[in-house]
Amino acid sequence: MGGRRVFVTGLGLVSPHGEDPAEVFERICLGESAIRLVRSGVPELGTDVLLASIDFEPGDRISKADLIFMARAAQMAVVATRNALEDSGLLADGRGPEEAGVYMGCGLGGAEILQRSYSTYFERRSRRVRPTTVPLIMASGPASQVCMRFGIRGPAHTYSIACASSSVAIGEAFRSIRDGYSDVVIAGGAEAMLNDGSVAAWQAVGVIAKEHTDGAGASCRPFDLERTGLVLGEGAATLILESEERAAARGAELLAEIVGFGASSDAHKLTEPSVDGQELAMRKALEDAGVSADAVGYINAHATGTPAGDPVEIEAIKRVFGAAAQRVAVSSTKSMHGHLVGASGALECAITTLALHQSRIPPTAHLTVSDPACDLDCVATVGRDAPDLETALSNSFAFGGSNATLVLRRA
Amino acid sequence: MTPYMFLAQVLSEKYDVDPDTISPEATLTELGLDSLTIVELLFDVEDEFGIEIPEERATFQTLAEAAALVDELVQAKGG
Repeated sequence: MGGRRVFVTGLGLVSPHGEDPAEVFERICLGESAIRLVRSGVPELGTDVLLASIDFEPGDRISKADLIFMARAAQMAVVATRNALEDSGLLADGRGPEEAGVYMGCGLGGAEILQRSYSTYFERRSRRVRPTTVPLIMASGPASQVCMRFGIRGPAHTYSIACASSSVAIGEAFRSIRDGYSDVVIAGGAEAMLNDGSVAAWQAVGVIAKEHTDGAGASCRPFDLERTGLVLGEGAATLILESEERAAARGAELLAEIVGFGASSDAHKLTEPSVDGQELAMRKALEDAGVSADAVGYINAHATGTPAGDPVEIEAIKRVFGAAAQRVAVSSTKSMHGHLVGASGALECAITTLALHQSRIPPTAHLTVSDPACDLDCVATVGRDAPDLETALSNSFAFGGSNATLVLRRA
Repeated sequence: MTPYMFLAQVLSEKYDVDPDTISPEATLTELGLDSLTIVELLFDVEDEFGIEIPEERATFQTLAEAAALVDELVQAKGG
């Protein structure tokens, strides 16, 4: 589709592997897992939980007075955005580009604040819930806080589409620049719902991994015969997207180009994925980009490590790619950073950007015995150099049957 | 910790108020707190001292008056 070209000119992370994009990418390429056993907040309820949690400290990057009005997800979004604005050279006196748009994905908003308010009501039997509860719970908190902290005055949109939230945010941000509505957009996602109530709810779905005999870190095993489920993570990732003209005018470093976006709905089941829906998202994205499947060298898969989900994505890839499916590298970096839900698409898009920028494909960690139903090149255990890598996809497929695929190209 | 000491500490540590400006005569508004923030502070005080500040009693102006109210409510609870 015609229109202006859109480039990634900055990355900012608050991820289970840390904040420095180069260091995060290096560790991921080496197959290092950030998943660990974390003690539950209510000891008599059990047991340690497998999580990719972050020892997050905003430090002096957010003032104490501002922290009072920010849930954890919003704090992470602000720090990731600060990192991205610095990386792109767009942070001046603590402010970002005033005309920018902000497109953020977030699944649940201030999950820990909601938990605290319910605990006040039901455990303390008190109606005296803190007055900051409502403005902190909002899923749009991260986007609003990014605007306030950095003086951003363009549109602030939040996409809450479960696991596809931030891929859609980036896709729509890409379109707003391509179609001439914006010149620069702060796009990404944030999620922080590792509070006990939310984790218990996820466990109830029956999709959470069990600890693997090789250790807690090896428990999320997409495409592996011994996979038992996903591991929840948390964090935020921000990408600075700019039109070709704006980036060129200021001599910005181009990390990758976003060339296409496709979205679809399964119209099928709430939690059961569909080959048809995923196939449609990838086909639409490739068509949007004007790229043939043959040209794609890498797919950062959605694959969360559930027994039911991973083969569905593999089948969808086979349908879209035909014979070329045997040549494309497919990896799930969730094997190391876990599933960040509303922030997952943004973190994985950032990793895909770095893969193109560094000509290096990250692996699926802990993939030791491939499931015959996942018989593509799933880049087992360690990453590899890919000097010819030109084009890559990043897939995000959500509960509810919302699918999103981004197409990126080496800049 | 006395109510005044707690107020002074939480104002500087959580609400980022310059400790030099905190005095018994200072009002919360003078210290830069807006209405939503003042209510949040009252919740911190309630949690710390295990009391409930009735809405009609929250008419204090200065920190000294606020501390005196908390003292009174703590003693009423203890008695």
